Amino acid sequence: MNALDIDYMLGLMPILLSYLPLTLEMAAAGMVLALILACLMAVVRVLKIPGLNALTLLFISFFRGTPLLVQLFLFYYGLPQLMSALTQINGVTATIMGLTLHFSAYMAESIRAAIVGIDRSQTDAALSIGMTRGQTMRRVVLPQATRVAVPTLMNYFIDMIKATSLAFTLGVTELMGATQKEAAGSFLYFEAFISVALIYWGVVELLAWLQRSLETRLNKAYQR
Amino acid sequence: MRNMLRTALLLASLGVTGQAIAQDSDETLKVGMSGGYFPFTFVEQDKLKGFEVDVMDAVAERLGIDVEYATANFSGLFGMLGSGRIDTIANQITITDERQQKYAFTQPYVYDGAQVVVKRGNDDIAGVEDLRGKTVAVNLGSNYEQLLRELPYSDEIDIRTYESNIEQDTALGRVDAFVMDRVSASQVIKEKPLPLELAGEPFSEIRNALPFRDDEEGRKMRDRVDQALNELREDGVLGKISQEWFGSDITQP
Repeated sequence: MNALDIDYMLGLMPILLSYLPLTLEMAAAGMVLALILACLMAVVRVLKIPGLNALTLLFISFFRGTPLLVQLFLFYYGLPQLMSALTQINGVTATIMGLTLHFSAYMAESIRAAIVGIDRSQTDAALSIGMTRGQTMRRVVLPQATRVAVPTLMNYFIDMIKATSLAFTLGVTELMGATQKEAAGSFLYFEAFISVALIYWGVVELLAWLQRSLETRLNKAYQR
Repeated sequence: MRNMLRTALLLASLGVTGQAIAQDSDETLKVGMSGGYFPFTFVEQDKLKGFEVDVMDAVAERLGIDVEYATANFSGLFGMLGSGRIDTIANQITITDERQQKYAFTQPYVYDGAQVVVKRGNDDIAGVEDLRGKTVAVNLGSNYEQLLRELPYSDEIDIRTYESNIEQDTALGRVDAFVMDRVSASQVIKEKPLPLELAGEPFSEIRNALPFRDDEEGRKMRDRVDQALNELREDGVLGKISQEWFGSDITQP
């Protein structure tokens, strides 16, 4: 067909990049909230707190068992039908909510795995010198579990950044939405989508680099 | 040229409705559109443009209220309307029986036909009757899928529903044809670098209008917008906007 329109891509890049902050903000907010929720759920699961444990299992089962897009549509279009006050929730908030709930379900399980993976003898030792269960968790188990969980949690963060591209279905013009609309105006699909792909890729590469340096730091104590 | 026209429209409507603007300038009409339907609604250099934008700007000016545009994937628009996040959808929404039961429509402001479009050089398909045994793309949530299903030989057509980019997939030869309204199909072929051509004549008349929620508030706004459309039609403003974008008046039957 036609040759690649480089000029168009160069003109498009700054426009698309101006939508990157929104994409990153949604992902960052989703990540922080999901981490908090996931840690709480992981602790509930590890300590098998009665009642809460069953509730957490149901939560994880639902949010891991249904597509993110379905959950977003449920929050944004479905729930206001039942409670009209929920119309106040805007697209950005609904996206952050969806990302938080969806990814916290996955993250809770990988945090739990990291906690369970810390040798049982460490807990026994901590308890034997008189630490409470809470102190044992905070001072001995969680710091070590963090090191184990970081690579998988970073993976989820990367996935979350890309998942924000669903927000345009809720009327949020983020990076992907802006690209779709520009492509509709120019019909230069390849140029538009390769531009946005490069942007996502660049951001993720930057994060992977951050992850590597974070891991190196966390591993310092283990290097001889 | 377009800017001059817009300024002229603005001045003209200021003269007529100056009082109205003073009265309720804090009111806002929230209009949803996909931003992905050339030349009705699309984005160029980060600016939302198109026939729909010009029409709704003119309607809002005539009513003396502000207009605010919200863009979302087409499949999300009716959800936004239903959940009260927007007041109406300006995206060439065709009046159908099902939609009329659920929404309060204004008068039609675009009269058009459904058109089959094929890759340039595809002589197999010369109209809707040749779609037997072919793969045909339509947009998700559009009424063209239904139009195709109503054909007596619809079970012989492989209908593929797309979220977007049906023009591109037809040009690539991944589907044999797509169905869209005649007006924007002609426009796509004329202005965009895709090897496409119209196949035969339009096969069904379609009338497009603005849907509002079918409740008291929605119907009230519908009546006001309807009145504004009447005035814009009589003043020739609608026709002028259409000439600007299409070189013909698609706002008349």
